[in-house]
Amino acid sequence: MKPRRQTAFSALSLIALVVFLATLPLWIDDYWVRVWTGVAMWAGLAASWNIIGGYAGYISFGQVAFFGIGAYATAILMQPGLDWNFFLTLPVGAVVAGVFALIVGWPTLRLRGAYFAIATWAMAEALAQIVNTVDFTGGSFGLSTPGNAETDFFYYAMLIASTVIYLLVFFLLERSRFGYKVKAVRDNEAAAQSLGINTTSVKLQAFVLSAALPAVLGGIDAYWITFINPQSVLAGDITDQMVVMSLVGGLGHLWGPAIGATVLYLASTWLNARFGSSTGYIAMIGALLALIVLFLPDGLVGLMPRARNMRLVRQMLRLPDKRTRAAGQSSGASGDRP
Amino acid sequence: MVRVAMQLLVQTIIDGLLVGGLYVAISIGFSLAFGVLDVVDFAVGEWVMLGAFAGVASRAWLGIDPIAFLPVVFIIFASIGLLVAPLIYRVRTSRYARPALMALAFTFGIAMFARGVMLTGVGFDPRTVETHLVGGTLMIGGIHIPWLRLAGFIFAIVSTALFMGFLFFTRTGLAVRATAQNKRNASLMGIDVKRLSGLVYAIYAGLTAMAGVLIGAIYSFTAQVGPQYSLLAFFVVVMAGLGSVGGVLVAGLFLGMLQALVTVYVGADYTLAIVFGVLFLILLVSPQGVLRRGLAA
Repeated sequence: MKPRRQTAFSALSLIALVVFLATLPLWIDDYWVRVWTGVAMWAGLAASWNIIGGYAGYISFGQVAFFGIGAYATAILMQPGLDWNFFLTLPVGAVVAGVFALIVGWPTLRLRGAYFAIATWAMAEALAQIVNTVDFTGGSFGLSTPGNAETDFFYYAMLIASTVIYLLVFFLLERSRFGYKVKAVRDNEAAAQSLGINTTSVKLQAFVLSAALPAVLGGIDAYWITFINPQSVLAGDITDQMVVMSLVGGLGHLWGPAIGATVLYLASTWLNARFGSSTGYIAMIGALLALIVLFLPDGLVGLMPRARNMRLVRQMLRLPDKRTRAAGQSSGASGDRP
Repeated sequence: MVRVAMQLLVQTIIDGLLVGGLYVAISIGFSLAFGVLDVVDFAVGEWVMLGAFAGVASRAWLGIDPIAFLPVVFIIFASIGLLVAPLIYRVRTSRYARPALMALAFTFGIAMFARGVMLTGVGFDPRTVETHLVGGTLMIGGIHIPWLRLAGFIFAIVSTALFMGFLFFTRTGLAVRATAQNKRNASLMGIDVKRLSGLVYAIYAGLTAMAGVLIGAIYSFTAQVGPQYSLLAFFVVVMAGLGSVGGVLVAGLFLGMLQALVTVYVGADYTLAIVFGVLFLILLVSPQGVLRRGLAA
């Protein structure tokens, strides 16, 4: 059990966060509402990626495919002639993405580690190329959705969608048997299997979940940006960002993706406003990713008070020499000279 | 009519083989670096891209023909590789949870960094490496063979042969092969795995960058082409079976031919979709052959 003071503190900060996010459009201007819409979207995307990448331990480089499927589902169903209600298109996108993930995931999830990463990447690239050439998606030209100028509407749509994603992740992966199974598969798949867990089914469920959720965000995004093409909703950069945001925030941690998304999205907004281009941002997140992996593998959540990493930092500050020597010995075990 | 069709087929296959040679050149070092470091280097395409830009820079800044500049490119990128390899090795052998995936993420970060820096520095404009040392076209019985592509192919064959010679006829090559098979046993036999990983990574980076100069001379490129060549290298290496050097030769030429045939007979728009689709299918159909070398998840 957590100490009562700590629980109270967590509850208070959560309430403060909810109030802050819910009242945001009342006291900031439209520009910043749009920025925070982006933050909400990326937090949701990174959290969905975190299900398969962080909790299940399968690094997917193809999650953008499902975001794109959601975006295209909404855009296609809202075309003149079909004229679906926007809210009805979202579940359709989620179901299509989920079914697609089921079909793709069943064979792909047998692959391990880097092979899974390569296969999902190839899958997403192939899908982007196909969307680029076929007719009903508008090819490389893309599709427009009926315009809707309400900035606040999109902010709340993204915020609610991401909050729901967060609640799902919390209840399904942090507070349920399913979550334990997924983490068991991540930590030792053979051992999990020997304990009677149907690992294939667990992995598949996690993959479908982490595919259906970004599709909803993709649908909202398509309606928001009013014009989509393969370059905007099926670009590899989108997966890159989901991966980096999760890793920077903290892989397999509930709050990691949200922290990573907030920090990185605000940084990218600032860089765009300051230098007028987004290429520096790519270099920045690349360098940040490499540094995080090297020095802070638990991500930014590792810096929070009471986190395991912080204890390590304190130990390092107290006994710098001893610690580096010990680390050097253990990691150099296979590299010792004859 | 039949004769024209045959000629087109032969021309397409030859074009494909010539391009395939370059794919072999970018994949062979990559395959071995994987075998030794146990890390799939997502930066492989970025070495191609950086090499191509080195070719542009040699022409623009130094006035040296890029083909003559190849040995310098090798030295520059081998040195960069020597600096990067210990970091990858450190992540790979660290005590983090899932070091293989963290190392993968690390190379991914390096790739993004290289791409971002080059995009910031040179922008999105397409470029080509200009060379005057080789030009013109060789004609054999109605088949066109541009000298440049032939030179690229010859470079690929020669560097592959040298590389194979290094692997199979030197003591260091023996150590490399032993390490690729079993790291623990290799280090028990007195092999310095860390130093060897650095050496292999350096050779791989240098070789891939040299291939990048030639690819840049044949095709136009931007700072964004990296991921595309990464995927092509993955295709070759996955099809060959990771770590298999002989397989790389076959798979690289196959990929070149597949691309050329699809471009001519199906349509250029479908090339990448079909290539990636085939890669996906290979991964699914032959995970046994692919996973034979047992990659730690």
